Amino acid sequence: MVQLTAGSCIGLHNAAPDDTSLFDATHTLQLLSVRSSIFIQAMLATQLNHLVKEEQIKKNTISMLLIILGMDVVEQMVDKIGNPVTLTPEAGQNQAAATPTTSTSAQQTPAPAPAPAAPPPQRQQTSSSSNRGSVYPIEGLSPYQNNWTIKARVTQKSEMKHYATAKGEGQLFSVTLMDETGEIKATAFNAVATDLFNRLQEGKVYFISRARCLDTSNVPSIKYNFVELGNLESQPKDSTCDVLGVVKDVGECSEITSKATNRTITKRELTLVDKSEYSVRMTLWGKQAENFSSPGSVIAFKSVKVGDYGGRSLSFFSSSTMSINPDIPDAHVLRGWYDELGNSTSYRAHQSSGGSGSGTGGTGFQRSQIRSLHDVKATSLGSNETESTYFSTRATIVFMKPESLCKKVTDDGNGGWRCEKCNQSWPRPKYRYIMAMACSDHSEQAWLQGFNEEVNEAAFNEVMSESTCKTYNFLCRDPNGRGQSRVRYGIVRIHPIDYKEEAKALRDMLLNSPWGQTAV
Amino acid sequence: MGDSLTSIRVNSALLPRFVGKTIRIACMPIRSNGSSATTMTSDGGHITVTLLPDTHMAPNTYYEVIGSVFNPTTIKLLHCITMSPNLDMKMVDDTIKLMHDPRFAPKVFFSL
Repeated sequence: MVQLTAGSCIGLHNAAPDDTSLFDATHTLQLLSVRSSIFIQAMLATQLNHLVKEEQIKKNTISMLLIILGMDVVEQMVDKIGNPVTLTPEAGQNQAAATPTTSTSAQQTPAPAPAPAAPPPQRQQTSSSSNRGSVYPIEGLSPYQNNWTIKARVTQKSEMKHYATAKGEGQLFSVTLMDETGEIKATAFNAVATDLFNRLQEGKVYFISRARCLDTSNVPSIKYNFVELGNLESQPKDSTCDVLGVVKDVGECSEITSKATNRTITKRELTLVDKSEYSVRMTLWGKQAENFSSPGSVIAFKSVKVGDYGGRSLSFFSSSTMSINPDIPDAHVLRGWYDELGNSTSYRAHQSSGGSGSGTGGTGFQRSQIRSLHDVKATSLGSNETESTYFSTRATIVFMKPESLCKKVTDDGNGGWRCEKCNQSWPRPKYRYIMAMACSDHSEQAWLQGFNEEVNEAAFNEVMSESTCKTYNFLCRDPNGRGQSRVRYGIVRIHPIDYKEEAKALRDMLLNSPWGQTAV
Repeated sequence: MGDSLTSIRVNSALLPRFVGKTIRIACMPIRSNGSSATTMTSDGGHITVTLLPDTHMAPNTYYEVIGSVFNPTTIKLLHCITMSPNLDMKMVDDTIKLMHDPRFAPKVFFSL
């Protein structure tokens, strides 16, 4: 090993700075670290540069190593909490990314002992001759491979997030890496995260290796593969896809509290439209929600999750990206179309594909499936279903009765409120209003129940007085299918009536449907 | 047709059937020359509306004109109801057609 070192060092010493054999020096470094104690390896993780310098000092290879360090050094990330993060220095990061990755073979597991001497010499030779062959395509990554290097661009970098679990707390951030074959998400924890957070920048290309690979079975493909909004129905729920659309509406930023983590998350809804004349809702979260301010622009969304809320909806994932007004031909076409026709087109929103109240729960208001309240009550009385069924109806709010309720929090007698679920005390509960509404249509009256976010009294009362006696379309849920006399149907969605739409629907029904044809 | 207080909604194609009768028609003025205006109806036809001295019909606004039919292309305005600039003329036209459909007209709306 010493020989190796010496040979490399000499070679390095005499080599020109751009000589690819420089990378062999990484080998050297590695071997040195293998020989060293594990402690030093652990130190490598956090204090790479210092350690390297020390090594330099030890082995008298200062000059060569400095040359290497002159290039941007990138470490990999290891995604496991608390394990001694073994980092190995990678040679070469260039925006041009033209440097070969001979360092692949350099990254062996610094397992103490086993013949590091034997394999490295061979590796050294092979690596100096084979260049890019050692770079794995992202698609080829699997948890069973340990010695791989990928060359990828950071397409997205998340914020540094802090977490606290029962085991302790820490911080992490994640990046999305992309190469010609695919994308993968990588996460760095704690110390590594601190170190790398400033070094990895979006848009730049890095070599990365020695990270632990978890389940790569769902590495998505790289290119934009836009799905027209009208075809979203063919995308299964929870799949990811790309869409290109114009932002027709931007909702307000709202804060919701996650029941799981009890943190507030900001969210914002956009309405996207495209040439298929369909509109769809896209939900943005966190920073993206807060910073969004470009209505009317064409945005390409990548890897957004398809949901079935309201028929079809889209949600921004942590691995999703969006680029505003991208410079691709599709975007220009869309822009032109929207400027001409977009504003005046009336868009259809996806209807959910559930039947009239089957167990899967149609989550969209279905005009064609409107039932009268009498019908709903009669049906539920007779059925034995135990799941919730959904139905759509149109009714007028006759009377509203607000009740305030904090769902999870109970008064713990100390002047504070304690939440059972997350075991924390709060000084003041957040009130959420349950609105019980008596709604009537021509046949019957029913009690519907809706939720409201925390809102102050004054605004609430105003909303209440305005909504009374107005007619809405409801999508309601019947909690357990068995109609009881005092059951309250939960409101899933409620829309004010768009008279234009309703009139069109009626006209279409009269003109086109079989029912209309046979009317006498 | 009944008493003179009823006015049936029509479009320009139906006017010939109602000569001498009082009708309502949705229209939008495209040209006005003093005492009369040329308007476009829900089915795209052009008719002349003879205005009253104090009637003003602004362009690009929809009106429902109640009037008596003088000839198949002219009506004499009796009263004019202003509607918004947003009116789905296609919807109006379809509705009028449905109203006059022999299946519905006699039972629901009026008898010819």
